[in-house]
Amino acid sequence: MGDTEVLTTLKILIIGESSVGKSSLLLRFTDDTFDPEQAATIGVDFKVKTLQVDGNRAKLAIWDTAGQERFRTLTPSYYRGAQGAILVYDVTNRASFQKLDVWLNELETFSTKHDLIKMLVGNKIDQENREVSKEDGLKFARKHHMLFIEASAKTREGVQCAFEELVEKIIQTPGLWETSNRGVDISQGGQAASACQGYCAVI
Amino acid sequence: MLRSKRKSKSPYARPNAHPALRALNPATTATQTQAGPSRPTQAAVQFVSTQPQNQEHQLPVDDPTTSEQTAVPLPSIAPSIPLSTSGPNTTVWIIAIYTPFYIALYTLKLCMLKETLHTTSILFGLDVQFFSRKQTPMAADEDADVFEITDFTTASDWERYVARLEEVLHEWKLVNSNPLPPAPRGSLSTGKWHEKKESISFADFSFLVTYKYLERDDIQKSGEESRPSPDDESEEKESSEEALPTVMADMMSLDNDFPSKSHCLSRWFGLQEFVVITPSQSSAAIESESRIKILLSSVSIALNNTGSPVPVFIQIQQYWRQMFSGACVLPGSSIDFDVIHLKTAPPQYSHLSGLLDVFKAKMATQVMPRPTVMVAVRFTYILTEWHNSTWPQEPPDFSSPMEDEVGCSDFGNLPFGASEDPVSEMQLACTWPSLSEDMIVENQNYSDLDPMQAPQWAVRIIMTEDPNCLLGKYLSEFLKISHRKETVEDLLWNLLSKEDDDQTGDISQALQKLTEPKVAKMYNIPSLSNVVHSASSRLAIKPGQAPINGDTLTTLLEFLFPDAKPVSEKTDKDESETESDKPSTKYSSIIEDLSKHLKSAPDDSLLHNLVTALVMVNMHHGGIRGVAQLWQEFVLEMRYRWENKFLISGINPGSPNLGTCLLYQKLQMLNCCIERKIKREQLYKGYTGQSLEEQKDSDSEEAVSSQLTTSDSEPCAASEEEQSKESGSSGTTATVSKESTDRLQQSRKEQQKQTSRKEKEGIPAKRPHLDSSSDDDDEFFECEDEDKEKDEEEENEEDGEEEEEEDNEEDEEMEVETIKAKETTTPEGEEVSMEVSGTSSSSYMDSITHKPEGRLAKSGDLKLLNSEEPLYIPITQDPSPMTEDMLEEHAEVLARLGTSSEGAQLRARMQSACLVSDMESFKAANPGCTIEDFVRWYSPRDWIEEDESTKENPIGHLSTRMQIPGNIWSEAWQSAKPVPARRQKRLFDDTKEAEKVLHFLSAMKPADVVVHLLPLLLHSSIVNIISNEDSDVPKVKEMIEHLISKSSMVTRTPHQHVRRYEDLVKLITLTETLIARATSLKAKFPSSLVESSSGKEEVEKFISDLLHINEVPINGGPTGPVGNMIHKLFVAAQRDLHMVMDDEENKEETSSNTVPDFPRPSAREYILRTAAPRPAPYSKSLPHKMTCSIIEGHEFRLAGAFASDTIFQ
Ligand SMILES: Nc1nc2c(ncn2[C@@H]2O[C@H](COP(=O)(O)OP(=O)(O)O)[C@@H](O)[C@H]2O)c(=O)[nH]1
Ligand SMILES: [Mg+2]
Repeated sequence: MGDTEVLTTLKILIIGESSVGKSSLLLRFTDDTFDPEQAATIGVDFKVKTLQVDGNRAKLAIWDTAGQERFRTLTPSYYRGAQGAILVYDVTNRASFQKLDVWLNELETFSTKHDLIKMLVGNKIDQENREVSKEDGLKFARKHHMLFIEASAKTREGVQCAFEELVEKIIQTPGLWETSNRGVDISQGGQAASACQGYCAVI
Repeated sequence: MLRSKRKSKSPYARPNAHPALRALNPATTATQTQAGPSRPTQAAVQFVSTQPQNQEHQLPVDDPTTSEQTAVPLPSIAPSIPLSTSGPNTTVWIIAIYTPFYIALYTLKLCMLKETLHTTSILFGLDVQFFSRKQTPMAADEDADVFEITDFTTASDWERYVARLEEVLHEWKLVNSNPLPPAPRGSLSTGKWHEKKESISFADFSFLVTYKYLERDDIQKSGEESRPSPDDESEEKESSEEALPTVMADMMSLDNDFPSKSHCLSRWFGLQEFVVITPSQSSAAIESESRIKILLSSVSIALNNTGSPVPVFIQIQQYWRQMFSGACVLPGSSIDFDVIHLKTAPPQYSHLSGLLDVFKAKMATQVMPRPTVMVAVRFTYILTEWHNSTWPQEPPDFSSPMEDEVGCSDFGNLPFGASEDPVSEMQLACTWPSLSEDMIVENQNYSDLDPMQAPQWAVRIIMTEDPNCLLGKYLSEFLKISHRKETVEDLLWNLLSKEDDDQTGDISQALQKLTEPKVAKMYNIPSLSNVVHSASSRLAIKPGQAPINGDTLTTLLEFLFPDAKPVSEKTDKDESETESDKPSTKYSSIIEDLSKHLKSAPDDSLLHNLVTALVMVNMHHGGIRGVAQLWQEFVLEMRYRWENKFLISGINPGSPNLGTCLLYQKLQMLNCCIERKIKREQLYKGYTGQSLEEQKDSDSEEAVSSQLTTSDSEPCAASEEEQSKESGSSGTTATVSKESTDRLQQSRKEQQKQTSRKEKEGIPAKRPHLDSSSDDDDEFFECEDEDKEKDEEEENEEDGEEEEEEDNEEDEEMEVETIKAKETTTPEGEEVSMEVSGTSSSSYMDSITHKPEGRLAKSGDLKLLNSEEPLYIPITQDPSPMTEDMLEEHAEVLARLGTSSEGAQLRARMQSACLVSDMESFKAANPGCTIEDFVRWYSPRDWIEEDESTKENPIGHLSTRMQIPGNIWSEAWQSAKPVPARRQKRLFDDTKEAEKVLHFLSAMKPADVVVHLLPLLLHSSIVNIISNEDSDVPKVKEMIEHLISKSSMVTRTPHQHVRRYEDLVKLITLTETLIARATSLKAKFPSSLVESSSGKEEVEKFISDLLHINEVPINGGPTGPVGNMIHKLFVAAQRDLHMVMDDEENKEETSSNTVPDFPRPSAREYILRTAAPRPAPYSKSLPHKMTCSIIEGHEFRLAGAFASDTIFQ
């Protein structure tokens, strides 16, 4: 199974306020580790991982972004062509949840694929001082037609699942990843008929 | 079934007595041999009879005894006895041969004969006499021992042919199939037809065997029941015996008479499945009677051998004659199919009563009383003269839209519509679906068949094959350029003068027209243009040889760049345009959304105009060379604007919009560069004023000018500010371009004023000089004067320390030096400036020595941690605008660094230029700040406040990740010097980027230009279609929606394929044709002719149906509202026709009473059918059908299918 051909390369974004744990989630997913000394991202960062979903191998090119306001003029350029986006907030920080609208808006404006799949991830559920309930997260996700999961990059809970779910959904949305090599089929209106050999009518 | 006595084991074919046999005895020629499906204990030769094809050829029916004698091939040696059937349904006669000896002898003879005979019969055709079919079969008794010959050598071409035919029938599973119910109503024309093909050769001739059949999805589900496998139990057999064979059911079904379109065989005989054998080459038409017979015999043998109930036809005569001869073999019966084709109808047969006579004669049944014949009739009337409409509706005048100086709008509109009437004629079919022969009379003198009495009416519209749709034509011509390889230089080589000397005097006439004289008027910088011309390497075009002549080119360029037109002219035009531009239709929302759906450009952009202009030029002004020329001029204008700092009009301000096509992004980029350049130079002027001494050293003359410029800088800056404010606020509406145009105009006027003022002051040529020198000083990012104003404001606001301002000036000088120093240490590099500036930096760390600079605003009421100073947000450098290709490149570079931690480090460093720049600005704005302060502004979530922290006394610490020693943030902080943004090294090099864009543009071949403009071409075309669409026909709307969604997909795919656009152009042509048809039909069937509103609705539906249904039945026939209208149309046409005659003959108006409402029917079709015993009175009653079509002055055709009982004859 391991060497089945890579079906497609998918571009996935991770966005959200700074220090909600975007880079940590990505590191957990790609290297299955947690680095408390992870530096704050500058601009965008990039990781690759292949994933087996539904018997399909998908190569994921995951773009991690810096969440700081100032970088926001720079990073959206990299939204181009992404098939999926992971919006992260910190469950121990209400403000990071409230900023989600801004991020969604950002996606809307800069993503080139309008039907890209969005996933909402509430991170740091290992911590005690929760400020955002699961219900709030669910409600927001429902309102904006997103996938939703709570996770912890530290304890690995929900991380793998989040990425797999997202990829599966992307693969199920063929318009998103098929490079559509099929030509434009023109439905010829009207009279060309196959059944007759140039003899259609009596006259 | 009886078995053949001799069982041939020839791998090719089982039959073994063939033409040769027939040749031996003419009486047996029609009989065929067959080997039964092997019952080894028996062996016999089977002879099968086929029905006579034509009455003329039919010989008198022999009685069995005579036949016995005549039929036996070698009667003297091998007497044969009739074996009268071993089952009631057998039609097979047998020759039994008693002794092996005879057989051997017989075979020998046979083989010899066969060889000779074959060659003759195939190549030259045999005497018809030999092949005339004989109805009488032969017989022989059979009971002898097994006798087998295995013979591989004797298989003839003919045997192989028959065997192959049988094989094919088996392959296609046309064997032993059970009857299908007749095809559902209308399905012969509306259903889906399939076909299977196989090639079979007979000696040197190759035939194409085609099985055509209607897809029966209506019975697919219950397929098991309707076609049980032949091996099933007896119960089912019984039921299937009762069911009429498919072919007969089809013949008698009234549901598919007069199909609107179908294969002619299916039309004539009502068949839903059949096999046709046609010669592969039309030149090898089967014309000789003998060949026809051989082929028909072969078919009969194959059908008999396989037991296939499917009718098989042979196409005979020339293809165009549509002549067929066919056979069908069923259990207990067979059907002969025949077609007669004449050019004109014999008078005695050109009406129903004559046709009934033919039918009855062909049937030749002797039963009394004769069964009645059922008749279906259809008359077709043609209307070509439309009383109330002529085409074109609005004569499109495309004689020479550009030659006359009507104005630029001629280049802005793509043509639309058909130049010929897309509707050529209407055919009205009046049908009497089912009449008994004695209910109706039609003969030479009298007819009951009045179209107004016909129960069914249907209309068919004949569309013009190619109505010459203009949009489609223009587009496809334009697309052809995309396959050309030539460069602009290749195409214009003889036009481009290479000597630079010529340029001043002989510059491209048109460009000169646009730029020079008008520039002089508009910009009022007469001396400037000359300098510009020689500075920028404009390729001059020799007048008189250019594909686009001077005046046209001027019009074109004024159309593309309306801001370059004199103001007075322009405003008039604009107003008139905006009024006419409103397509206030149901589609307006679609048009608005279009630029979102398509990856092209905002509505009415410069590129839209460019693409339409190029399309028009391609058609009217020199084809690809004209395109090359206009493109050349366009690129030059772009360069001119860059060099002279005029924003490009018709392009939205701001960074490249990634939702638009690449070319548009490039122009946006160029505009960004021009904007930065303008700002930069304003700033430069400001500096030169301040750092006067420095300037003096280098160039005293320039210093004078600088001083002057400084004196002018105030109004200048004001205008700039105004401009930038406006551009910032303008939205994405279509009016933007016009606004910005006006704005540009204004700003240009301002500039004019300035320059003219300068000129008055006697220093004319300074500006250009400044311009060129400024390009060298582009190392700094500027933040325009407003920054400073704001600085001042705030400072004043703060304490009104005016001394600080003065200090500032001194400082500035110092700073400039530092920067110069920095520059020298910078080894060309730019991106990784952090590392560079990090060399001598620590001295700046947390220094309080400098004065604050480049402040934008206070950040709330935050205070610096180490002082009482408020925390200021610095003015920062704007992010670099990027086009999608740059971005892709960038992303690729970043991605290529890999996922290792070193890679990530490097990636972060590569992107830290912006961070460092911000840090430097921050330091400059906040003397005495720390990294904690920076983080509180820049990444507030990395500043963790303690609980006891208050606003006045903030206590907290950096997040762990910021505290890690040597992390990239603190590293950057260490290296950052306090430098305000305006004196930092520019993150965005506008000169370089502008040159890149200009190079990109000038390197494009015409083919590339076309490819890059394709999305805009689609966009404009769709807008054009929509604004011309007022038909309200659902089908049209559907088409447009389809077109938009396809276009959206095609323009968005990352790699653009011309082929896909070609497909879309086809779709556009199709839509255009459809709209033209709808328009034409609406004019021809005006709903104004109908009073009631329900009637109007019906007419609309009728028109809509005509567009996609081949034959539209008329609701209510002649009495419905549509029928009524059609009647009126015919009457009007008839009147028109006869009025002329009236006038000529000077008859009175009363004659109009005698004018018939309808013309003579152009086509008359009759279907006659009945069931009658045939050939003998005691035969089973079987169906017979004859179809007749008489096309006035064109053809007369009879197609007959007559069945005969093969048991009781
Ligand atoms: N307890 C806890 N801390 C986390 C978790 N994920 C990230 N962090 C911490 O949150 C801080 C910011 O994480 P980072 O991944 O750099 O966030 P980013 O700015 O969104 O990329 C770091 O100090 C991480 O150690 C988590 O799931 N649980
Ligand atoms: Mg990060």
